[in-house]
Order: sequence, then structure tokens, then C-alpha cells
Amino acid sequence: MARSFVRNHRSYENTYFESPANTILAYQHQSLKVRSLCEGTITSYQNFFRKLLSLKMGDQLECALDLMRRLPPQNTEENLSQLISLVPSIHEDLVNAVDQPLKVATCPVSKKEYLQSTFNRDGDSFRSPWSNEYDPPITDGVVPSSKTRKLEIAANDAFDTYREMYYEGGHSAAYFWDDPGQDGFSGAVLFKKVGDSVRKMKGAWDSIHVFKANERGRKAHYKLTSTVMLYTITSKSELGNLNLSGSMTRQFEADYPFDEPNAHIANIGQMVEDIELKMRNLLQEVYFGKTKDIVNDLRSINSLAEFQKQANMHGELVGELLDNRSDIAQKKTQLTSKLKLRINNDNDEVKL
Amino acid sequence: MEGLSVEERLKIANSFLLDSPPGEVNDVYSDIKVLLNNNNAAYQEGLLDALRQYNIEQYVTVTLPEQESMVILSKYGQIENDRFFDPKSHQAFTVDHISQDVTEVEPHTPDETTEPLRSAVETAISEYVADHYPKGASATYSTGETITIAIVDNKYNPSNLWNGRWRSTWVISPESGEIKGTIKVNVHYYEEGNVQLNSTKDIEITSSPVNSEDLAASAAAYSKSICKAENEFQTALNESYIELSENTFKGLRRALPLTRHKIDWDKISNYKIGQELANKS
Repeated sequence: MARSFVRNHRSYENTYFESPANTILAYQHQSLKVRSLCEGTITSYQNFFRKLLSLKMGDQLECALDLMRRLPPQNTEENLSQLISLVPSIHEDLVNAVDQPLKVATCPVSKKEYLQSTFNRDGDSFRSPWSNEYDPPITDGVVPSSKTRKLEIAANDAFDTYREMYYEGGHSAAYFWDDPGQDGFSGAVLFKKVGDSVRKMKGAWDSIHVFKANERGRKAHYKLTSTVMLYTITSKSELGNLNLSGSMTRQFEADYPFDEPNAHIANIGQMVEDIELKMRNLLQEVYFGKTKDIVNDLRSINSLAEFQKQANMHGELVGELLDNRSDIAQKKTQLTSKLKLRINNDNDEVKL
Repeated sequence: MEGLSVEERLKIANSFLLDSPPGEVNDVYSDIKVLLNNNNAAYQEGLLDALRQYNIEQYVTVTLPEQESMVILSKYGQIENDRFFDPKSHQAFTVDHISQDVTEVEPHTPDETTEPLRSAVETAISEYVADHYPKGASATYSTGETITIAIVDNKYNPSNLWNGRWRSTWVISPESGEIKGTIKVNVHYYEEGNVQLNSTKDIEITSSPVNSEDLAASAAAYSKSICKAENEFQTALNESYIELSENTFKGLRRALPLTRHKIDWDKISNYKIGQELANKS
């Protein structure tokens, strides 16, 4: 089992914010990183081998992430666990870089349900946002500082309201952690909604917003990486089975005014609200527009020969229309010049 | 976890390879080679077996020398291992499953008794495929008592980060006029994400038994039944897209709250009071 994301987040911070799983830019970025390793001055054999080793690791991680971007997202969890058993050395990087569906569990202290993710995990235990206790209990689990925990409590409250207004059900959670040596903190805001299965149609939405907040005087700078995992499944006799699932990731950076600690909640809330709306539109377009268009590009319900015939006819019609239009345009110019001539003549007459 | 045997490692690698999205098997193959990090012969051979299986299952197409049409690789046209035949041009050939290069092309004699019907169905199906698949390829095989048809259409657009594949398989029993088919559609969209459509349908239709006096008419009838079934499936698929978007997707998350306005975050606690009041009443 990998250690805690939060405990080690500083070493992964760059991986997470600059190259989340599933983005192309991320891979390019990683190859840049790998390249810079090669270009570094080699001072000793020890260094040389260390670099060679990390280069190989980087290669394998890059390929593993590329593979996760191609394998069916319907089996993300299974693919990830098989990938880990194939290359155990990149276990931790993989677990932290690949988003997985959120799990619902019940907090034994507050008896309230909460979301389990890589952001509230330490070893095999998960921290409940309601009680701040680890389940199963551990003695040395990472917890936020009291200042950050105070914000975390307020955020859980605010996003619970947001969840009810947008999701009308489901689960939400906010997990914050401190950024030692910096003014600010990091956190994850999570939502999960499993749809009611109506007419053999099932759906599930998991959103994962990971942010870093930096306080800079009267402003705060935020970096946000948002991933939405959307699963839709249906089956009926005319159709057979359909599974349309996957995830999309977007990044966002902004400065917001910051005058008191609670301003973070409003700022993060506004950012999450904006990006969720954008991503909802994007998902709608890609899932139900783009992939549908591709299917209908593969095969045409209508006869292609018939379509060609109509296109030709249409072409002819458009051609005629254009001809007519140029006729009209020509007549118009003629008319205008005649008119001008007359006006000129009139003017001439007036002058005369 | 370190102690996986060669077989266990290959089993995982091969399951990944067989799950490759349309047009991306080479990318998956090269990723797997780096992940296995081992060039021993057992791995190479094992991966090649999986690649062969992938090409056959996915109806990968190759081109024969001096021929324009695409030739489907399928189990129905497999002679042994890497040796296949093209029922249309009556040629046998050897294929390299990595490069998809074709060598050792030789004439392949069809079965005399079944060839007239097979050839008639081939003509009708080729015509149908040309009229409904912009980049379609088809193969019509004589498979003992039955005629088996494989259809595939691929559209690869890696520069825009999407690929798609439609595959159909139809088995006609001329004696009874029964037709059994399977349609599989896969689409992969991977611009800053990984979205995949997987759709499959098994179909059974009844057409009339073959008329040995007029093979062309029987073939045309089979082709028409197949066209109708495929149209019905595609129509149902398009309808499901609308239903999933209108019901399932909308039911997961609203575009805007009931208030039709974005949240006023400075007054977030007021909403909660409102919600609680609403719940009480």
C-alpha cells in the first residue's frame, strides 16, 4: 500500500499540478523533465547511474500513464491494479497520478457518510471530514493544522450546500492540508453522484478538484486541476448494450482578493462552480455530441449514393442561386448607376 | 508482488493489448514493451500471439500487392498461424502482425460447390457496404453449411485525438434463411481525457431460404435484411444518446441551481438556512 498522498504531497505537487493523468500536455512536460535529466552534468558514476535509473523510471511512468489514457476507462481500477503488479516500482507515482472513482464509507464517529480518496488516505486508513478521525484508527495519521482544519470545516459546510443545489443528492467532501514554508494551503474538493437507475439507464458522476492556494498580501493565487469522471450505461432490446464512460481533465489558475481567511472558501467555491459548469458543457459536447458524430461517420443510415446524388443536386442549386445572385447584383449596380446618373442630372438641372 | 511469473506478467500485458482502442494497438504495444522491460524470447512470442489475436478479433485490414481493396484479417479467413486468404481475389498470403506487411502471395482455390452462392452474396454485400460505409471493408466467406460476412469501418484521427471502429459479423444459414449477427462499435476520444463508447448487440433475423434458381435475388434479400437490422441498431444507438443526455446526464448534475443563478458565495450560509426551512415545511 502506498503511503499518504498528503504526507508526501510536496514531492508529487509538481506531478499533480503540472502533469495530471490523462492530459497530453502532461506527457510532453514529463518528457521535458526526462530530457533535462539527461542534459545535467554528470559528476560521478554514482550520479550517472542514479540518473540512468530515474530516467528508466520516468520512461516507465510515462508509458504507464499513456497506457491509462488509452485503456477502457470502464475498468480504470482493475487496469491500475494490474499495471501496479506488472511494474511495482512505480506503484506510488501511479496511485497518485491516476484518478480513481471515489468511494462512499460511513464515518464510525459521526455515523455520517464520507468520501474516500487519495487525498484523505494515510496507509490503509481514511480521514473523515466530519470527525477528523482516521478509519480504521491510526495514531500518527496526518491531520491539518488547527487553522487549516477550521477552514476545512467551513468548506465542507459550504460545499455541502453547493452539492444540494447542483446535485440534489450525492456526496461532497473537502480535504485540506498545509503547505509548510508557504503562506497558504492545498486541498481537494470532491463530489460523487450516482444516478437513479431509470428505464435501464445508469449514470455516475465523480468530480475531483485539487487546488493550491497561495496567499500574496491582499490577493490569493489559486491553481486548480479538475477531473470529472462520468459513467453512463444503458441496455435495451433494440440497442443491446451501451457503455459510454471516461474522464476529462482541465486546469485553471486565477488571483482573487483575499482579506480574511474565510475569503478562501468563497474564492475556491466560485472557481469550482465556474469550472464545473464549463466541464459539464464540455462533457455534454464530447460524450453526446462528438462520439455520436464519430459513430455516424463510421456508418451512414442513409444511402451514401443517394446522399451523393442529393449533394450534387444541391451543388447545382447553389450554383444556380449564385448565378442568380450575381445577376441580381449586376442589375443592382446598373440600377444604382442609372439612379446616380439621374440624381446628377437632377442636380445639374437644379444648378442650371 | 515482485514475484510474478513470466506467464502472469504476459497475461496482464496481453489483456492490455487486446483492450487497445481502435487504431492505437501500436501505441499500446510500445508502452507494454517499455513496461515489461525485458526482451526475452518468451515475452516477444507471447506478445506476438496477442497481437495476432487482436488483429483477427478487430478485423484489421491489409492490402495485397497490386490491389486497391482492403483485405480483412479474420478467423474465417485464417489458414494457419500467420497465413490467411482473401475470398474476393482468391489469394493466400502471409502477414506480419507487427508491420502488417503481406508476403508469399499465392493463388487460393475456392470450394467449387459453395462458390456460386458465396460469390453472389459477396457482390450484394460489397454493394451494400459501399453504400453505407464511407471507408468500409467486407469479406464474405464460405464457412461449411453457412456463409459468414465480416464488415469493418475505421476512422482514425489521431491528430484530433479520436478514433473509431464499427465491426459487424453476420452468419447466414442458406437452408433455413436464418441470419445471426453481432455488431460492435468502439469510439475513443482522448483530448485531455479518456472517453470511450463501447456498444454491442447480438441480432437474429429470419430471411427466406436460398433460391438455387436465383442466387442473386437471394443474396440481395440477405443483404437487405442485414442493412435493415444495422439501420435499426444505429437508430436505437442515436436515440440512446439523446436519452442518456436528456435523462441520465441531466439527472446527475444541474447546469444551474433551481434559482437559475450562480451561487452568491458571500451568502453561502443563507442558502443553507433556506434549505433547512424548505425541508421543515
